[in-house]
Amino acid sequence: MNARKILARAFEVALILIWLFPLAWMVITSLKYESEVVTRSFTFLPENPTLYNYLHAFSSTYILQWLCNSLAISIVTMIATFILDAPIAYAFAKIRFPGRNILFWIVMAGMMVPFQVLIVPLYLQFNSYGIINTLSSAILPRLAMPIGIFILRQFYEGIPDALEEAAFIDGAGRFRTFARIILPLGKSAATTVIILSFINAWNDFLWPLIAINDSVKYTITVGIANFQGTHGTEYALIMAGAVIASIPELVFFLIFRRKIIDGIAMTGIKG
Amino acid sequence: MIPGNRDTRDGILFSLPFMIVFALFMVYPLVFGFYISFFKWNILGTPSFLGIQNYVDIMHDEKFWSSLWHTVQFVLMTTPVLIVMGFLMALLATSHSPLKGVMETVFFIPYILSMTVAATLWAWIMQKDFGIINQVIRLMGGEGVSWLTSEKNAMWSISIATYWWTAGFNMVLYTAGIKQISKEVFESATVDGANALQRIIHITIPLVKPTTILCLILQVIASFNVFGQVYVMTGGGPAGSTRVLIQYIYETGFSYFRMGYSAAMSYILFVIIMAISVIQYITLGRRDS
Amino acid sequence: MKRKLMAIIALIAVGTLLFASAPQEASTGEGPVELKFWSLFTGGDGAFFDAMIEEFNASQDEIHMTNDMVKFDDYYTKLTTALAAGNAPDVIVLHQARLINYVPSGVLLPLDEYVSDEMLSDFQTAPLEACRMDGKLYAIPFDVHPIVMYTNTSLLEEAGIDKIPETAEEFTAAAKAVKEATGQWGSLIDNTTGTYKAYTLTRLFVSLVNQQGGSMLTEDMSAAAFNNEYGYNALVWLQSLVNEEAVNPNELDYDAAMNMFKLGEGAFYFNGVWATGTLEQTEGLEFAASPLPAFMGESAAWTDSHTFAIPVQKNQDPAKVEAAIKFIDWMTGNAHLWAKAGNIPTRNSVLEGEEFNALPYRADYAAAVSSVVANPPTAAWGEIYETLSDLLEAAVTKNLDPQTSLDGMEATVNEIISRY
Repeated sequence: MNARKILARAFEVALILIWLFPLAWMVITSLKYESEVVTRSFTFLPENPTLYNYLHAFSSTYILQWLCNSLAISIVTMIATFILDAPIAYAFAKIRFPGRNILFWIVMAGMMVPFQVLIVPLYLQFNSYGIINTLSSAILPRLAMPIGIFILRQFYEGIPDALEEAAFIDGAGRFRTFARIILPLGKSAATTVIILSFINAWNDFLWPLIAINDSVKYTITVGIANFQGTHGTEYALIMAGAVIASIPELVFFLIFRRKIIDGIAMTGIKG
Repeated sequence: MIPGNRDTRDGILFSLPFMIVFALFMVYPLVFGFYISFFKWNILGTPSFLGIQNYVDIMHDEKFWSSLWHTVQFVLMTTPVLIVMGFLMALLATSHSPLKGVMETVFFIPYILSMTVAATLWAWIMQKDFGIINQVIRLMGGEGVSWLTSEKNAMWSISIATYWWTAGFNMVLYTAGIKQISKEVFESATVDGANALQRIIHITIPLVKPTTILCLILQVIASFNVFGQVYVMTGGGPAGSTRVLIQYIYETGFSYFRMGYSAAMSYILFVIIMAISVIQYITLGRRDS
Repeated sequence: MKRKLMAIIALIAVGTLLFASAPQEASTGEGPVELKFWSLFTGGDGAFFDAMIEEFNASQDEIHMTNDMVKFDDYYTKLTTALAAGNAPDVIVLHQARLINYVPSGVLLPLDEYVSDEMLSDFQTAPLEACRMDGKLYAIPFDVHPIVMYTNTSLLEEAGIDKIPETAEEFTAAAKAVKEATGQWGSLIDNTTGTYKAYTLTRLFVSLVNQQGGSMLTEDMSAAAFNNEYGYNALVWLQSLVNEEAVNPNELDYDAAMNMFKLGEGAFYFNGVWATGTLEQTEGLEFAASPLPAFMGESAAWTDSHTFAIPVQKNQDPAKVEAAIKFIDWMTGNAHLWAKAGNIPTRNSVLEGEEFNALPYRADYAAAVSSVVANPPTAAWGEIYETLSDLLEAAVTKNLDPQTSLDGMEATVNEIISRY
């Protein structure tokens, strides 16, 4: 029995180490000099650990600015997504108005549109508004993605009508009921939507690649991809860039770990 | 329920803000894109009307079919594995192990990395000459493997990176599904003398079926939309053997600037994804209820 | 506690928004003319280019140039969308082969009235004429960059080879001799897509077809013209190096080929002249560069050329155009700095200058520029070139039947042409 337990723990520890290894390797590579990376005489740990690659990444690119851009885009996206999604999710869940079902299915069909279909028209459209190459151009198309509505509606539907009716009897209008009853009750769903839209905005790649021209306005994902092209085979430098790009995400994740995991789980439970 | 029966007004009022954004940045470009698909247009000059010629050409375009086939390959290579992996990980994350919390966190971490980081990292790990895997193989006296530069390995290598990157997402969905199964069911089974494996087969798997369906639907859509990993890791190579449909759409549109053709292909992809989703929804959903 | 958290998030949001919007366009008025510039130079090239821009900015105080580097793969995507939108930068870099994709749409400014004859007379005729379409000058050539052959001199010495091979047979023999004597690879021709497609294969194929007197497309550019003995000979030879003779690694991508040559693991290496600067910076590598040998008859080598062009703007500012021309004049006139990366300058004053001639190898392969093969001027060429890279890659790495491969390549190329 005890031997079995030890074996099980050993297996689990092995799994954990395997899963973490790529991340560790990213950090290890970034601490080596390029000459130690591109070589036939392989060493696992750096012989002369160096921060050269990090200093080089910070000094030769706008990497810090890219992080700020990504942060700004993601934060605005998550707030705006919630402001837009919550009311319509509520309407879909609780208000009986003509055309509701048709509208709902139209919006849901939007979830299946491959984004590539939209790129060219969006580019031309944004250009005619004169907002290509601005951070807003990176944000706006994200706001039309209906995934948040789907999650919120699922949750709002589960809130008993009786609670709302009680509020109506007390003389509260729609807006008050929504603000005082539905929103507070739907806090966990709201967190999910906010976090998911943050992660999605942060990881967005193709659209910001096309919509933003100046390298100073790049998002971090675009910046890092560009970095790889610019520095061809300089693996150590590229890995340093990848580490820098990942730190904010990892911090965000470790702070909100429980919320993020529970949030994603919620999309599944009631589906 | 209806104070003064203003549901119609309220419904419209509450829907309006999103619907405006949706109409502007989803419906309008969608319609405009459809319109473009009937033209020959290099984005710089004036478009010339072709009728359905683009769609006809696509039917005879070998590269389109091979790209579609590679996409289907990727879907088939990733979907089952990712679902099984997610399930097994969820079993570990809901076990009695003192490490279950650590495992849940660790398995999920890769998912929050951005695609570029995950793909660049794996391209480096699998690099033929200096990547860690081949360096270790060589230390042990073996010969390096062409992970990304040989036709028979490349798609699998991309899939492996994808497993590492996204399996944690399915794990979270399954964890939630497993946690919803009531403890009594397990306990009574244990009393009846069922061992762990029997409990998994006879209780857990049937009871998480809704989760499996959800994972399947989400995973197929996600895999059909694959682009970033391929773009970063192999660039569609070797010899175009990992070029997926979205990459071909991107190339025709944004490298060769055949906008109409590119738009037409995206519409075909849209229809395919839509059809698969509907079929899945109908067949799986019905059997479930 | 929650309030605090929200407040912190709000603070971060406001802070990053402020920071994210911090870099503002410099206000016009007094001070130097601000010019925006996009380039596609990466890696070794990029470092030399950035140094030039810095030197240009330091050399005078009328014009200030800001350079945005865009990764090669994405460069033309961004450039074309920006041109379509009319928000392209003030000066751009274009490959000569790509001019045909832009000039007919009227997005590039004809330069004749802005450039002095005196300046133009300093340019080499061939690269300058390649920038003219319908009698108008749309770009100014910055460099010429043909494919050349690099040799690892220590390996050749070790194998007892004292003469650079001049024919395909001699090359194969030399490569075999190196492999037998040293255990290293005879040749390093990349043949697999990695960071880039197997362009070297295509460049050599184009060169070899032309060396035999053939060409890639028919004269009116309406069909493929390589499905004949010329194409057959070229393909069979490229296949044999990897397969029958096994002197060239299979499944070799661009980065790996470069790295292996740097590490001294191969005797012959083919790449554009742009690799010279990077190789020179490699410690412990003894190498030489020479023009692409006439493996199959005549001298001919694939080439392209970087050119400068000025996009048409909605409100073209004459001051900016004038400044842009000054910039172009300076860059081409100081191209000996660019030659450090390996590229061949286009102006006589530079080619004859001391700085350029003090650099090794360049003068040799600059002399060979007369035999370069220009890219066919058709809008379909970009797609043909990329597609051929894929097909050649498959033919060489999988050792497919050469005639079947050529038939397939011809059919594909013709289909591509029909769509433009």
